[in-house]
Amino acid sequence: MTVITDDLVLPPRRFSLWTGIRRNPTIAFGAVMLALLILMAVFAPLIATHDPFKIAPVNRLRPPSERWWFGTDQFGRDVFSRTIYGARVSLIVGLSVAVISSALGLALGIACGYFKRIDGFVMRIMDGLMAIPSILLAIALITLARPGLGIVIVAIIVPEVPRVVRVVRAVVLSIRSQPYIESAIAGGTRNMKLLVRHVLPNTLAPLIVQSTYVCASAMLIEASLSFLGAGVPLETPSWGNIISQGKTFFQIAPWTILIPGAFLAVTVLAVNLLGDGLRDRLDPRLARRL
Amino acid sequence: MTAYIIRRLFATLPVMAVVALFVFFLLRLAPGDPAAIIAGDDATTEAIEAVRMKLGLDRPLVEQFVVWVWALLQGDLGVSIFSNLPVTRLMAQRVEPTIALTLSTLVVAVSLAIPIGVVAAWKARKLVDRVVMGFAVLGFAMPVFVLAYVLIYFFAVQWQLLPVQGYQPMSAGLWPFVESLILPSVALGVTYMALIARITRASMLEVLQQDYIRTANAKGLATDRVLLLHALKNASVPIVTVIGIGIALLISGVVITETVFNIPGLGRLTVDAVLKRDYPIVQGLILVFAGVKVVVNLIIDISYAFLDPRIRY
Amino acid sequence: MGVSAILEVRDLHTQFNTLDGVVRAVDGVSFDVARGETLGIVGESGCGKSVTALSILRLIPPETGRIAQGSIRFEGNELTHLSEQQMKSLRGHRISMIFQEPMTSLNPVLTVGTQIAENVVRHMNVSWAAARDRAREMLDLVRIADARRRLDEYPHQLSGGMRQRVMIAMALSCDPQVLIADEPTTALDVTIQAQILDLMIELKEKTGTAIVLITHDLGVVAETTERVVVMYAGRKVEEAPVEALFENPLHPYTRGLMRAIPRLDVEADAAGTRPRLQEIPGLVPILTQPIVGCAFAARCELATDRCRATLPPFVDAGGGHTVACWEVKL
Repeated sequence: MTVITDDLVLPPRRFSLWTGIRRNPTIAFGAVMLALLILMAVFAPLIATHDPFKIAPVNRLRPPSERWWFGTDQFGRDVFSRTIYGARVSLIVGLSVAVISSALGLALGIACGYFKRIDGFVMRIMDGLMAIPSILLAIALITLARPGLGIVIVAIIVPEVPRVVRVVRAVVLSIRSQPYIESAIAGGTRNMKLLVRHVLPNTLAPLIVQSTYVCASAMLIEASLSFLGAGVPLETPSWGNIISQGKTFFQIAPWTILIPGAFLAVTVLAVNLLGDGLRDRLDPRLARRL
Repeated sequence: MTAYIIRRLFATLPVMAVVALFVFFLLRLAPGDPAAIIAGDDATTEAIEAVRMKLGLDRPLVEQFVVWVWALLQGDLGVSIFSNLPVTRLMAQRVEPTIALTLSTLVVAVSLAIPIGVVAAWKARKLVDRVVMGFAVLGFAMPVFVLAYVLIYFFAVQWQLLPVQGYQPMSAGLWPFVESLILPSVALGVTYMALIARITRASMLEVLQQDYIRTANAKGLATDRVLLLHALKNASVPIVTVIGIGIALLISGVVITETVFNIPGLGRLTVDAVLKRDYPIVQGLILVFAGVKVVVNLIIDISYAFLDPRIRY
Repeated sequence: MGVSAILEVRDLHTQFNTLDGVVRAVDGVSFDVARGETLGIVGESGCGKSVTALSILRLIPPETGRIAQGSIRFEGNELTHLSEQQMKSLRGHRISMIFQEPMTSLNPVLTVGTQIAENVVRHMNVSWAAARDRAREMLDLVRIADARRRLDEYPHQLSGGMRQRVMIAMALSCDPQVLIADEPTTALDVTIQAQILDLMIELKEKTGTAIVLITHDLGVVAETTERVVVMYAGRKVEEAPVEALFENPLHPYTRGLMRAIPRLDVEADAAGTRPRLQEIPGLVPILTQPIVGCAFAARCELATDRCRATLPPFVDAGGGHTVACWEVKL
């Protein structure tokens, strides 16, 4: 019912960084958290207090203390240092999946929205891929390859691409039906020019928003795969691996699970908040979907 | 209506066909020798050849495909590499706990999330709304297994209110059955609940702006009638859509939840099969889970006609 | 008027909080509605007439707006003091309202019959079966053919004019004392407009319901109302019986509105041209800043320093015709 105020005459609004943050605190919070995590991952060797790989059976399962801030695991490795290094795996997987699946999704989505001939074919494949729950799809791909960071990234990209394709294709189709595009086509504008001038800029906002969600989802899937023992190689300090290895001793050493778990949750939260904030800012129509 | 349902049923066939083709060619066209990968790193040549024979990978691709599809159409999902048991039988043994877990989660999550979302929209921007949405955002970011361990730590280890792990079938008595499902259902359901509560709130907020809600208020109708009939019925299509989409979350979540809580269901079967690289089982489970998802989508599509009289088929 | 007034609005102030400050949508408006009369409230969009209507029913969304000051008395009861529950039993029963958009004001997923009958069930303490009979009776009354079948139809199966008839049927289903109609015909075709207005007047004669007709259309006002309140920028500027207003508009704003109506009764001159329609120059003032003096001063060709400095009081021109303008010479 806020409609009522719409026909009242209002003075133009002022914009500044501060009002921007105040009106959209989620972007600010998400971005700051994410920046801190990236700094942590980049400077992991400087921040870590111990060698994350060093096994020391004498010190196994020590609770958090001044010497081992987050305690030690069943091999006597320092959980704090491993957690700091774990940020690297999560961020590498999250960012590379987001970037690559956005690029692939953008290309396929534009192609589908643009060329009727391939649309039906590609979209049937996308529907099929989307029918498979993403963790299962990733697991199936991993079953058939030797473990490694690369295959994990590929295995997560495959189920994420269709989601991006759908978003991009929907935008392209809606733009195509706009009168100004129809008249541009009728006026003989070349396909390439049309793409670059009209279609690409319009897909950008939903694409950025979608890719933040893909990033969050990728981090969760990576951790889940590692947790199930089907992710990055066991010795790699990833949050999923730390938790997975801690599960046997969970009842006596809960810190091996709760601390990396909290880091994972906060990271995903930060990315989600950034996505929500960007969505509200860039693409209010999309805001309705979630 | 019936015509629409039949047409819609036929429309699911290409999707399932793509899924089937995908799992078939994934194995056959994987880089490297799939038989060697499945047999494991330190397998002997004989072991690799045995795997190759068992999967029929030594035959021409076309023959493999025809045999596989023919078997599939008869409901034969192949034989496990390690146990030599038919995949369908292995699944049948494991299906009960998974159904119990997903259904209880589904029912509890939906029946809690919708009222929560409605209240949040009704009290939009008030304290209740902020608290609820805060939890929804947190719940959405919380990995299932982390939440599961937090729950176990407090409810089972610290306060000893509920069992740490394990599953009790209904035949073991109602309370042990329910008790064994509480923590897994909560762990599995929180993300799903967060998703449904958020879409309910968003959809309700949009509907509450509409002119017909103002009309309903101008008639002096009771608040519950305005919210639960006039608004919620209009808001229902996106909510039902998300309940359907979220089934995928539940299926992915089941794989993890059953591992954490040591529940012998289809999720555990999946993980065990992956770790042993028992591809026929993985392949069968993908087909079954994708089938469930497709059927749920079908039901959701059909339900739209009952929720919105403007939709006619 | 005072004795027979069923609704008395006094010094009403309704404000909205926006990101840009407090909007004074209604800024000190007073008027009476007598039993069974038709009062027109006229003004440009954004002058606060709809907000006035919503304020009477206390339907201003509490998150953004509030009645800041003033009194609204209905049958002697102060509405601003009633609890929300008491207001609810009044709405749709003693005072009902119909809205501008017949296309969106009916609930798309409930049948027409349900939407009329629920109002009757809510206020008349009858069974659903009886309420349904009443709903059918009301559809007959607003001349919807084949009422029995229409009860089970959904709004999207009806035309715009039919939907507005349904709205009227719904609003009158509990025999209200006052019907507030906010631009009820604006969204309709011209021919349908006339039918709907005729129907409203006819039903008013039959039921004795007072009508507050809110419109920007002086033609509608001339045809249907008995008395008129002219609003500008959240304030009342002139009030008069309808004939007096059209014969002798006093406020410069009212005169401006009159000049903006196309007229067919003025003879074309020798060259076949009619006098040009005149617009009122300038824009409605920004309502986030308090307006000192006369709200219309900035657009008024007669404005003096006094107009810009001091709010003009209402002066009585006789016969119930009052106006707030320093420059009117009586």
